[in-house]
Amino acid sequence: MRIKTNIITPEERKKAFAIPKKPEVIERQRLPVRYHVEDYDVEDRPRRFLQAFAAILKHSSYRLALDHYIRSTAKCARCATSCQIYQATGDPKDIPCYRSELLLNVYRRHFTLGGMLKGRLLVTGHLTDEMIEEMADSFWNCTACRRCALECPTGIDHGLITHLGRYILSEIGIAPRALVVSTREQLEGASGNTSAIPVPALLDTLEFLSEDMLEDKRVEIKFPIDVEGADYVFFPAVSDFLMEAETLMGIAAVFTATGDSWTIGTGYFDGINYGLFYSDRMLERIVKKVDAETRRLNGKNVLIGECGHASRSAKCFLPTYCGYKDAFPVINIIEYTHRVWKEGRLKLDPNVVTEKVAYHDPCNLARQRWIIEQPRELLKAFCPNYIEMTPNGDDNICCGGGGGTVSIDEIRPYRTTVGGKLKADQIRACGCEVLVAPCANCKKQLRELVEDQGIDCEVVGLHDLIYKAIIFDDSLKIPVEKKHDTLKEV
Amino acid sequence: MDALLDFARGPFFRFSFAIMALGLLRVIVLDLLGAYDAYRKAGEKDLPWGLIISRSLQWFIPINRVFKYRPIFSSISILFHVGLLLVPVFLFAHVHLWKQAIGFGWFTLSKEWADWLTILTIASGIALFIGRVFTRSSSFLSRFQDYLWPLLLLVPFISGYVCANLTISPKLYQLLMLTHVLSAELIFILMPFTKIAHCVLMPLSQFVSNLAWKFPADTDDAICTTLNKKGAPV
Repeated sequence: MRIKTNIITPEERKKAFAIPKKPEVIERQRLPVRYHVEDYDVEDRPRRFLQAFAAILKHSSYRLALDHYIRSTAKCARCATSCQIYQATGDPKDIPCYRSELLLNVYRRHFTLGGMLKGRLLVTGHLTDEMIEEMADSFWNCTACRRCALECPTGIDHGLITHLGRYILSEIGIAPRALVVSTREQLEGASGNTSAIPVPALLDTLEFLSEDMLEDKRVEIKFPIDVEGADYVFFPAVSDFLMEAETLMGIAAVFTATGDSWTIGTGYFDGINYGLFYSDRMLERIVKKVDAETRRLNGKNVLIGECGHASRSAKCFLPTYCGYKDAFPVINIIEYTHRVWKEGRLKLDPNVVTEKVAYHDPCNLARQRWIIEQPRELLKAFCPNYIEMTPNGDDNICCGGGGGTVSIDEIRPYRTTVGGKLKADQIRACGCEVLVAPCANCKKQLRELVEDQGIDCEVVGLHDLIYKAIIFDDSLKIPVEKKHDTLKEV
Repeated sequence: MDALLDFARGPFFRFSFAIMALGLLRVIVLDLLGAYDAYRKAGEKDLPWGLIISRSLQWFIPINRVFKYRPIFSSISILFHVGLLLVPVFLFAHVHLWKQAIGFGWFTLSKEWADWLTILTIASGIALFIGRVFTRSSSFLSRFQDYLWPLLLLVPFISGYVCANLTISPKLYQLLMLTHVLSAELIFILMPFTKIAHCVLMPLSQFVSNLAWKFPADTDDAICTTLNKKGAPV
């Protein structure tokens, strides 16, 4: 089934594209974009952009893709058919191929022999301030979902070009403030995580959740802290500790049912990696923190919670930056839960969740066909009214808040009017009452989307439902009197 | 005219064919060298071969893809590509020339098939050109070469079809045959330097796009040093 979406109305367009900044800020920063940026050196931007581009090319392998793409791009516009941004705006400047061409033109003109000769002879095509401003806008209009790459007959990965474009821009100081500030706190702040949660607050939260679960399930469900030698060292999107209690409770419940050893490290407990969205340098630094904490605790595996980008950045880049074959194996919590369920170590009650349930594939889990069937098998096992949204799997429609855009609160009108429009139409067409999105980014965006679009649908994590349906072995259940004693002790 | 035609069919054909073959070989070699370098530097080298192969095959045999989006445009585009590949390579007259030159030939299309394929190629080429002009998304993206190519590719097809099927005066025949040969040679010469290089690069695309995500290890320090940002705050 193909979801049809209508182009937004002029009123919606005005609302979605309004710039929430004072004119003097736009003037000072010379940046007419919707997201906030910290003040940066605005002088000589083209030269500094090219310097950063050259440095990145020198020390990376992006030339391979850039050379390949400039030689083979056919401009067929097929990518436009699958881009949820273009489908909503109808603006040809939102066609992925056009967006990529902004950077490919710079590469062609300044970093290839033919382009340099042609540019010098005709005195044309050199990078200007206006081109930088257009890139700064365009690369953050994209959600980097990479769905367009599936539709490109010549195999161009526009998400990779968006990724590189943002990286170069960040090196001259143009990156969303929301992401930069969070990453600064994560890498250099006292708390060491993007939500600035101090360890005592974390411990309090976890203790409170354990009490809640004891009350609710009559089972002692703990969050093991700083356990050395655990099989799994757990890194959720740290915002889950504040906003997704039920997801964490579900995960802890699964481990209690299986008895496998896992732990949360107080040295570092954040799976979020905004480096994936704007800077390879930050990506590397953050991934190395995950490695260091797992090493400190002498853990055996890195376990990432319900978060697409956190999972992809650890799965794909922990081996890259932390020793390849010697790096810790990375698994996502869905893989773990699916495996223990398959092994018969997890029992789920099929009579608890009776609503119409659908599953949303997070781009970072599904686009490369990493995690598609496992959550569906789990859901079908205990949700009798499971329904499928189409398109799905590796062809899923992005929630509209991908690529870090969900963390930029000031662009919410854009995300829920433009970015998520196609997704909203898909949710309406599917008619689900509960939408399962095992990703912190997707959940936040989808909740805002259903609220702003007026869709009657609850957005939850996969383990939120598992928590509801989990059946504990009787041996784990605490008798009522004892439960009260335990609670008193707590 | 005879001398010119002989020159076009002889030395100039060999020249243009060599430019095409060597030029296309160059872009493949450059791609493979780039891939080797990227693979050598990659911090993690496990490529998703299953995904690469299946997605490459999806576009070699795009049956599943055709009707998903823009079915008319996609069907016409496929027809155009099939005609472009099959007619020049398997036309009896072309194979005969190759046989005379290199001593062996290969499978040839029947006259009926060749004629129908030629007509379909011409019709689909015109349709693609019109589509590019009148579809907003396509025309917005199009460069000069994007408009030129469908038209340029049709010149040898139209001239060849007329020469092979219509009764025309010997002088016009010679003129059209010269147009046929020279336009094909111009195409040969331009192929490696324009988007038509995708004819040899496309099989490598999925491989390149997946390998491109295999970043080198420890670039943070190197880039900081190059950009004078060592010790700078995040």
